[in-house]
Amino acid sequence: MGMLHDIIYSLPLGIVLPLFFALLICGCRPGQGKLIRALALAGTLIPCVWYLFIAGTFTWDHGDADYLKLTYHWFPAAGISLSFGADTISMLLVGLTVLLGPICVLASYTAITERLRTYYAWLLILQGAMTGVFLARDLILFYTFFEFTLVPLYILINLYGSTNRRAAATKFFLYTFTGSLITLAGLVYVAVKHHAGHHAWTFDFHALEATARSMTLREQTWVFWALLAGFAIKVPLFPVHTWLPLAHTEAPTAGSVILAGVLLKLGTYGIFRFALGFVPAACIHFAPTLAVLSIIGIIYAGLICWVQTDVKKLVAYSSVSHLGFCVLGLFALNSVGLSGSVLYMINHGLSTGALFLLIGMIYERYHTRSLKEMGGLARAMPIWASFMVFFTMASVGLPGLNGFVSEFMCMFGAFQSDSHRWAAAQAGHTGLLSGATPGELGPWFALAAGTGVIVTAMYLLYMLGKIVWGPLHEPGGSHGHGHDDGHARGVLPKDLGAREIGILLPLAALCLALGLYPTPILRALEPSTSAVARVIQHSRENPPPSGVPAESVASIAPADHPASDIAHPTSEGGSR
Amino acid sequence: MTDLLSHLPLLLAQAGEHAAHAPAAAGDAAHAALGAPRGVLPAWAGSLPLFPLLACVLCTLCAIFRVKTKLPAAITVALLALSFVVAFLNYQNTMAHPGAQAAVVPLFDWINFDWALAHNQTTPAHVLVANFSFYIDPLTCLWMLFVTGLATLIALYASEYMSHDVGAGYCRFFMAFNLFVFSMACLVMGDNLLLLFLGWEGVGLCSYLLIGYFYQRPSAVAAGKKAFIMNRIGDLGLSMGIMLTYVQFGTLEYDKLFPQVAGYWHLAVEHRLAEVPFLIQLIPVLFTVGAFGKSAQFPLYVWLPDAMEGPTPVSALIHAATMVTAGVYLVARFFPLYLCSAWALDIVAWGGAITALLAATIGMAQFDIKRIMAYSTVSQLGYMFCGLGVYGATGGVGHVFTHAFFKALLFLACGAVMHGFAGQLDLRKLSGLGKMPGWKIVSWTMLVGCLNLAGFPIITSGFFSKDSIVGGAFANAHTQAIGWILLITAGLTAYYTFRVYFRVFVGPKHYEPGDELHASHDDHAHGHGDHAPETAADHGHDAHDFHPHAPGWAINLVLSVLAIGTFLAIWTVYQLPKDGWVAHMVNTSTAGAATPEVEEAHFLGMDPHHGALIASIVMAIGGIVAAWWLHLAGRTTAATSRADGLIPALGPIPNLAQHKWYVDEIYDFLIVKPLWFLSHILYFADKLLVDGLVNAFGFMPRAAGGMVRRQQTGVLHDYAVSMAAGITLVVLVVVIISSGGHF
Amino acid sequence: MTDLAITLAQAGFPAPMAQTTLMHYLVVSALMFGMGLIGFLTRRNLIIMFLCTELMFQAAGLALIAFSRYHLNHTGEAFVIFVLTIAAAEAAMALALVVLLFRRKETLDASSWMQLKG
Repeated sequence: MGMLHDIIYSLPLGIVLPLFFALLICGCRPGQGKLIRALALAGTLIPCVWYLFIAGTFTWDHGDADYLKLTYHWFPAAGISLSFGADTISMLLVGLTVLLGPICVLASYTAITERLRTYYAWLLILQGAMTGVFLARDLILFYTFFEFTLVPLYILINLYGSTNRRAAATKFFLYTFTGSLITLAGLVYVAVKHHAGHHAWTFDFHALEATARSMTLREQTWVFWALLAGFAIKVPLFPVHTWLPLAHTEAPTAGSVILAGVLLKLGTYGIFRFALGFVPAACIHFAPTLAVLSIIGIIYAGLICWVQTDVKKLVAYSSVSHLGFCVLGLFALNSVGLSGSVLYMINHGLSTGALFLLIGMIYERYHTRSLKEMGGLARAMPIWASFMVFFTMASVGLPGLNGFVSEFMCMFGAFQSDSHRWAAAQAGHTGLLSGATPGELGPWFALAAGTGVIVTAMYLLYMLGKIVWGPLHEPGGSHGHGHDDGHARGVLPKDLGAREIGILLPLAALCLALGLYPTPILRALEPSTSAVARVIQHSRENPPPSGVPAESVASIAPADHPASDIAHPTSEGGSR
Repeated sequence: MTDLLSHLPLLLAQAGEHAAHAPAAAGDAAHAALGAPRGVLPAWAGSLPLFPLLACVLCTLCAIFRVKTKLPAAITVALLALSFVVAFLNYQNTMAHPGAQAAVVPLFDWINFDWALAHNQTTPAHVLVANFSFYIDPLTCLWMLFVTGLATLIALYASEYMSHDVGAGYCRFFMAFNLFVFSMACLVMGDNLLLLFLGWEGVGLCSYLLIGYFYQRPSAVAAGKKAFIMNRIGDLGLSMGIMLTYVQFGTLEYDKLFPQVAGYWHLAVEHRLAEVPFLIQLIPVLFTVGAFGKSAQFPLYVWLPDAMEGPTPVSALIHAATMVTAGVYLVARFFPLYLCSAWALDIVAWGGAITALLAATIGMAQFDIKRIMAYSTVSQLGYMFCGLGVYGATGGVGHVFTHAFFKALLFLACGAVMHGFAGQLDLRKLSGLGKMPGWKIVSWTMLVGCLNLAGFPIITSGFFSKDSIVGGAFANAHTQAIGWILLITAGLTAYYTFRVYFRVFVGPKHYEPGDELHASHDDHAHGHGDHAPETAADHGHDAHDFHPHAPGWAINLVLSVLAIGTFLAIWTVYQLPKDGWVAHMVNTSTAGAATPEVEEAHFLGMDPHHGALIASIVMAIGGIVAAWWLHLAGRTTAATSRADGLIPALGPIPNLAQHKWYVDEIYDFLIVKPLWFLSHILYFADKLLVDGLVNAFGFMPRAAGGMVRRQQTGVLHDYAVSMAAGITLVVLVVVIISSGGHF
Repeated sequence: MTDLAITLAQAGFPAPMAQTTLMHYLVVSALMFGMGLIGFLTRRNLIIMFLCTELMFQAAGLALIAFSRYHLNHTGEAFVIFVLTIAAAEAAMALALVVLLFRRKETLDASSWMQLKG
């Protein structure tokens, strides 16, 4: 019993479970479609159950400390360990990943009719890899998972995408991979630096954090841009976003959902975890630059959305625009902005994921994504239209739905973070105004991002006006397919069926719940984000030496206990 | 996760157990007027918005279970009536404790976030709190009384008006209708600015959904989109104002905010505005941007006339009586803050005055009666803002209150006409309706509404509320110009109002049915798609046997109640500038901040209020007489009148006014088109430049390979020669180096 | 020393390994390598070219053995044994390939195969 308990409450289980089911699927014969689908569903649902177990005992009140930290001393000579842990941010993003898993499997039931084994096996491997990224607490492990997410998605796009899929898959792979290599260089530099100071190799996050923070501003700057090279492409931040619309447009529905829902968050997660955690001084220094880039992205991508005729491309560009808010919140460098940003990662996954699902449902029925070829579908598909309006409004950031809380907090975080402007003017007061925080952005950034909110309304209502409202205009004059190209496609109902409603309802419920009652999550985020905000503030008050990199080993402050985690290669989760 | 979710019922239970708790005492004697002790309301006081919410959920269920009866309407009317009862009880309880002002009724936590870097005793609490809790003071009560009351009546009206859509459309209509009332309640009752913002955007959403109710009509879809986006522009100002408020005061909750505001407000009263920090002076200006968007003021007014694409009950409730007054509510609620700003109230007043005049001139030249009413709404909203700007919250709020009754009445009467004549709204094609059987009540109540809108002296509430604004403008030496604008506008208003009445309800009997004819004769169960344009072609031959169907009991009842209501409203406003029910309600709320002393002025050599009274009477009567002479006495046929002869004399003005001064076209040309063009450029730049650069990087290795690939000739001997040459070279280099250069 | 050595010495030849210096071996090795190289570059017949490469190979082997002897260790000899073994295997492979190529085009001219042109 005790051992079972230990296994259930271990983080790597969340990674191993989908991989195990992927193996089982590989063992099936090609004809066993039902079995394959059932295995895939089980392989995604069981991690959900596992997640509920973990979340049920997770110490949400102390979310800044790693929970259930498990370190297996794997390759001691090189300091590489299999180290897993979870704080609130990891927990939330893993939650999003395991939630989208079964949804993606169910969404593919009728869309994918050939080469099922390959498809579902890679889908499960992808889920395992994504879970691993969020749970890894060792740089090499993190990087391995981070890069390994590319392979399954490359294959999903390359084999199951639409017409231009090969070019899209290649571009997606090469573009993100090139950036990630530079990121690896930055991460390894920190490890080398640590080795120079401590004469021992380690890739443990916390051990390296201390080393990285004590680097000079010049070194931090280099590491910062190296990290950004990979993470900004992944987000994607203007101007390195061009792989995304292509990949989204060509990817199968489930691929798009995962791409928008989770994979883009690897970038923002990376920025949060490494850029902010490792090189706070550089983040402070470059916060305005990054904020300007994200604001350009918000407006630029928003305007581009407005002239799209391919609805999937529209939503893809909207991701670029939305993630701009997320990055803006991160570089507000205060608690409100950071929490808003993490919440945004979740909310964007829910609402944009749902939009991709809805567009996929249309594509399955009409085999087109062109806004010119269809319109007024509210008449033909009222249930679909209701969901479409709902999720569009969530995406627009309507208060009461999830998008608003995070969007407001990201913008407000930027608004209040201005050390100079908010200096209290009245006599008898020192410091900042009561609602302000130290920071590098300010109201103009929030205002500029706010115009993006108008643009968001413009393009999303344009989309609704074209595809949902207006006179009914169905492609090819009628619904249905002249050819029977799959045993399942012919049986799709005109409006959404029970399976399709079933995968949308949980997302809708979460959108509403997070919109009306985000307090539990915000509370859980308080410790994590304020810890990061404190690190930043500490770095702001005690800036590292700039100029020539410190060569002497002695100048590097020893980390608190770099080897303590390695010394105890057992689960430390007993204290719950 | 499970224990997270378990918070929810717990908190709800706590909210239920708590009676409305008195918030932490502000404790500063100087803030007595704003932060006085609070009364205690029963716990159910906050249940008011839950009734429309419940009705919304029930209507959704009706839609899911495909209810094909009038059940949604019955649910809506019953639950909205209940919410009206709660609003009335809240009002009674609030007024029963004259000293006790605002009660805060918490429901549950919405946003409650602690962002402090360090927790210690010396720094103030750094929490971002915006909960679902309701702030109930007389201003809230006043607003909720007419919102829920009118919503109930209009729901009753809509139950008949929308009857041709029974089924999915009916459910959808009442769903959005109820959601609107809920959002409006959040807007008005919210105890913090973010909840107000939730309501603010929520009513915008419902407005969008209801304007686009006939979603197969492209014009309706476009109008809904326009309304939403225009409002978003205003909302940006409001949200910036909210952020600035928080940064400045560290809170968004009214009961913590207003005591702080009071400190600055005292400076303003003592004419020490210069000492108020710039940022605080900026907040109300930002709020004004939001208010101008929501309340359709210049330059953000263009969405409201288009919003008439929605069903008429929607126009009456949302786009005339309640939602568009949200801007006025915002200004009234934060009136003390407005007093702290050197420019905010001037902006409000001048914006209102320009809008009032501009909209009135456009209204004079329109032929669509619903559109005329829409422009009159814009114009009257301008009056309200002038009222706020020139002498205080009472002026604006008084006009909101009376306007809600008579404008709802006017719209509903127009709606009855539209309903009966198959969508016909052109005043050239309708005449003498009052003489037709079954149209008596509509035509009499229309007359009452028109008298109110025109400001017919003494017997109408509209007269008193409007006159108090004009008088207020003349009483202040700085705003006499606004007074003149308002006076002229009053004359124009009387003219265009009675132009409608004299053309449509009296005169020779004549009518042509509108283009919904085919549909209304078609099967009623078919749904609302009957507005499809292709049906328009059929009305020619159907017109012979067309019989207008007179309104039923529900419409007549609602019209009568509202007509009586406009007379009863006289009692609330007839003593307006100083006294009366509305003034009392406003002055005992946060809006009741004393205004700074202003320079006394005279108007036409007498007391400004008396002078304005006389001038208003003259203008109103003059406008009505002009309308009578041009459109009744001078009527030739249904479509022509003596007014047509005047048009050439006025030069291009009538044409410009009929085309709304081309404001839409100017916006299109200056903003929309360039933006559209820019977007296309950006898209191409994205593909060619940004992505092109990336592709160029990808092309570089390939190009480099292309350059050296010629070396691979495929001839074995070439490789051998190059190998031999390479070896020779290496050997030579080694020899030279090993010989130290002395080879 | 044997009788033969003495006889040769009397005839004026230097004593074996007494006067034979490293340079002699290297000269022979270089000559062999040069002949192989020239043959490889000038002949077109694949088999001849292959023989020429073998010649160069053995030239290198000779040099290795000479150095091995010169340095008085066995590294070079060990190498040569490896080289010879591999050369045998290689010869078998190469000749088999040559036969296959000949079957394909009925010629052994090296310029007949230019498919690897860039």
